[in-house]
Amino acid sequence: MRHILLHADFREGFVEMLPACAALTPFGVVTGVGAAAAGADFSGAMGMSAIIFSGAAQILASQLLASGAPVAVVILTCAVAGLRFLMYSAAMAPYLKPLPPRWQNTLAFLLTDQAFAASIRRFNAKDDPHGGALHFLGGGIAMWGMWQITNAIGYFAGNLIPPAWSLDFAVPLCFVALVAPLLRDVPLVVAALVGGIAVFALDGMPMKLNLIVAGVLGIVAGMLTDLARERWTAR
Amino acid sequence: MDGALRLWTVILAVGAINYASRLSFIAFFARRSMPPLLARALKYVPVAMLTALVVPMLVVPMSLPAAPGINPRIVAAIVAAAVAFVTRGTLKTIGAGMATLWLLRWLAG
Repeated sequence: MRHILLHADFREGFVEMLPACAALTPFGVVTGVGAAAAGADFSGAMGMSAIIFSGAAQILASQLLASGAPVAVVILTCAVAGLRFLMYSAAMAPYLKPLPPRWQNTLAFLLTDQAFAASIRRFNAKDDPHGGALHFLGGGIAMWGMWQITNAIGYFAGNLIPPAWSLDFAVPLCFVALVAPLLRDVPLVVAALVGGIAVFALDGMPMKLNLIVAGVLGIVAGMLTDLARERWTAR
Repeated sequence: MDGALRLWTVILAVGAINYASRLSFIAFFARRSMPPLLARALKYVPVAMLTALVVPMLVVPMSLPAAPGINPRIVAAIVAAAVAFVTRGTLKTIGAGMATLWLLRWLAG
């Protein structure tokens, strides 16, 4: 273990991830605030950040559980939100292929949007799968550690700061910050509009099923718009 | 089921499913490439799911008595979305949204 932590590639990956960790601080804090607002206890909030390790899924889980949705619906909704990991997994797979399964299984757990971006750069820069794996491990551990710290800070802030400040409003704002900059392409705008309108229109659905149905409708609408545009421009 | 049991069932199940998604093409389907249609669909997962997640938080305010006529949360979210679209900055977006919400509530007395 010690020889891994002292390795230059590991430390390089760790240090290179720190700016991305800093940029992710608001999201981590807000995720902790969301857990506190939903009434989770401290061990539950930290269990989510340590094991689920995905802001969107953690906030969905907190919100849906607090609203009394059945456990199966909560799990299914979080699973759909987590489908984007398939995309990163597919993109990462060729680089991890030369590594032993033990490494593949470890690195897969640490696969996040940020770790993905940083390690793809490194794997492309040098033809050295083992150095790249150590670099990925360093960055992934930095991100995981930072996620636990920021989630804990958010959990305490959410419980300490008076409700009159409406700190819970920072939760949707954080998602607005993630989504709004993406809306520069027509199919993505359609996906967001359909998802947003459908969740409101289907509010009467039982067991909070409107969330998952709206999400899937948005995905399909975006994809159809994309395909239609491709047809149109191909003519 | 009591609250803690519900929460931990979700933590373990979602943790396992997320891990399986992360591991999917690295381990289970290592010999296959991603079907093009699936790749196309996955592009729309974040915007569709996150927008569906945000809208109920704005329309059904949990801790705020709605001002007559306008919902301050929706106005604040629109301001925040404009800031996010232009600056792409998370802190600026949260700052603009919170400031707008506090201002509107102060104006409403």
